[in-house]
Amino acid sequence: MGWHGYLALWCAVLGAVALVGYGRSLAGVTRAQRMVRVRGRIERVREPRHGGSRRGGIAVVVSYREPSSGAEVTVTNDGERGELITAAWTGREIGVSYPRGRPHDYRFSDDPEAGGRGLGWPNAALLLIYVGLVVVASVDWGWPWALVGVCGPWALVGLCYLPGNVRDARHRREQLASMVAVPGRIVAVLRDVSTDAEGSTSTTITPVVAFTTREGAAVTAHCDSGVPDPAGSYGRELTVHYPEDDPARFVLDHAARQRSVRSDVAVNVVFLVLVAAAAVVGVVLL
Amino acid sequence: MTTTTVAPPTGATPVDLARGFLTGGVVGVSLAAFVVGCTLGKVPLIVAGPALLAAYGLLFRLAGAPRRAREGALAPRTALALIDALEVQKGEETDVPVRFDLTVAPDRAPAFRIRITQDVHVSELRDHRAGAVLVVRYPPDRPWLVRIVKRPTPEWEERAAGAVLESAPGPAVAADRQDGCAWSLVTLLGVLLGAAAVVLLLRAELFGKDTDAPDGRSASVTSSSTSTSTVTSTGTVSFGPGRSMLDRGALRAAVDSLTGGGGGGGDGKSALTVVVQEQLLTVVFSPAGADAPAFDPRSLPFDRVPALVEEARTTLGVDSPRTWQLSAERLTGALTIRISVAGAGGSASLEADGQGVVVRRSPAR
Repeated sequence: MGWHGYLALWCAVLGAVALVGYGRSLAGVTRAQRMVRVRGRIERVREPRHGGSRRGGIAVVVSYREPSSGAEVTVTNDGERGELITAAWTGREIGVSYPRGRPHDYRFSDDPEAGGRGLGWPNAALLLIYVGLVVVASVDWGWPWALVGVCGPWALVGLCYLPGNVRDARHRREQLASMVAVPGRIVAVLRDVSTDAEGSTSTTITPVVAFTTREGAAVTAHCDSGVPDPAGSYGRELTVHYPEDDPARFVLDHAARQRSVRSDVAVNVVFLVLVAAAAVVGVVLL
Repeated sequence: MTTTTVAPPTGATPVDLARGFLTGGVVGVSLAAFVVGCTLGKVPLIVAGPALLAAYGLLFRLAGAPRRAREGALAPRTALALIDALEVQKGEETDVPVRFDLTVAPDRAPAFRIRITQDVHVSELRDHRAGAVLVVRYPPDRPWLVRIVKRPTPEWEERAAGAVLESAPGPAVAADRQDGCAWSLVTLLGVLLGAAAVVLLLRAELFGKDTDAPDGRSASVTSSSTSTSTVTSTGTVSFGPGRSMLDRGALRAAVDSLTGGGGGGGDGKSALTVVVQEQLLTVVFSPAGADAPAFDPRSLPFDRVPALVEEARTTLGVDSPRTWQLSAERLTGALTIRISVAGAGGSASLEADGQGVVVRRSPAR
């Protein structure tokens, strides 16, 4: 069996995986589609302890209504419970999902509307088929096909998404400009030291900011960026900017964010031009 | 308070050992197939190794799916527990392992004592002291998997704050399963046997080719073909696995090895024909005094040969080229180099002059 035989085998196996995956998704039987999704509400936020751990996110108590029985259920984010809750306030709505018939196996998501169709595996299989075809084309017909095969589709995808990216950048700019500024304070600095397989240790420092929105919601949130000298930031007063519709998207380095959002479109365009140029070079060299 | 004794699984069962052996065997076979395939240049083996491992992993996962579904369907039980004793083990990380001796007191089941080890962040160590009551959770059918709930619901938090528990009698049963070294040894044995099986099956190809030449290369000179009055000599150099005539300097060195020492009967300089394949060089030397169109094999454009072979493989339209052969002679007066390639899509050839410049192409039809 030559190269092409292996390519055919590769495509056949992955094609079968993709077909099965898309078929299951169409039939509505993927794991993601069989999840029960309900809207939960944060009832209580436990303030992180200074020097504590960031693992597990901010400790919260969440309640939701069980759709089948209508009973009110109270749960916490103990252990592995899906997306980390890194910004919390009493009354915040978050997504709660669990496999049908197994409410004890619940998971949280930041977005209450979040939910997929379970197309991760079939999409990955399609991508691998595409990679296989590009590799074989490059081996058989020369390396310019690698440029055409990789950069051509990327350029097309980038072109399709460019208007959306421009709209997003404009929206982010407007959102940053209309953010509300309130005082905040670093109420804890979390410290986690871990060791990898080779024995080297790494330390993660996470400041926790607390601020109160104009509407009176007391927000507690992890700060992954925007705090200079995070290890010594305990007790520091600072200004927090947040969009009125979602305090979870607060920023601490407002001016820097405004500067960076201006260059977003330019970065997108430069990337698109580079990828398109590489594809054109590939076509010319064929 | 009624009490009971939990009997956690002890050691590895024969089924676990068999599974470990099988897994080790598959890993050994896969790795050995991949390595041997790379050594011999056999693509089927290179592909089969990882494919076998992937298929086994998939089967293993599928086989365990019913058990996982059965275990997952069972809601865990939440209970209060009393810390009878604890021992903090030191470490560099902020999450340190702590060994707890617990008395677990479920609401509608007998209490039991158990010893578990669980990581606790250093900032939370002061919350865990002997005599404290906390909340635990465990699968009802596997109480030895008990875990401390670090963030209980308000209801359980209140219950734990107001509860007074007594330690259950008897020793705490160690919940940490001790597979011991038997499982590791059996798995390692499986890896070794799997790898050995592959090497044994392919020993002829692995060791046969270069049995005569431990350094992976053999040079043999054959005197042959007596006719009436002329003796023609042939020099041959064959390479072992992993080496190619297209390697940098390999072809020149092989030719020099045949011509430098007199060529095993030839005049050491003139050749009638030079034939080169992937791992084989054959030089047909011109007999002394013969009036034949011979040439100096050392005058071949060695540096151009890899590029010419690559050009023949990729530009002549032969699908999946598998073999190639270079033959050089000067029957027509000037030195002519012909490179033929053959594959699934037929065969084709190109011709080059003494400088390695392509002068004619015969693409596949």
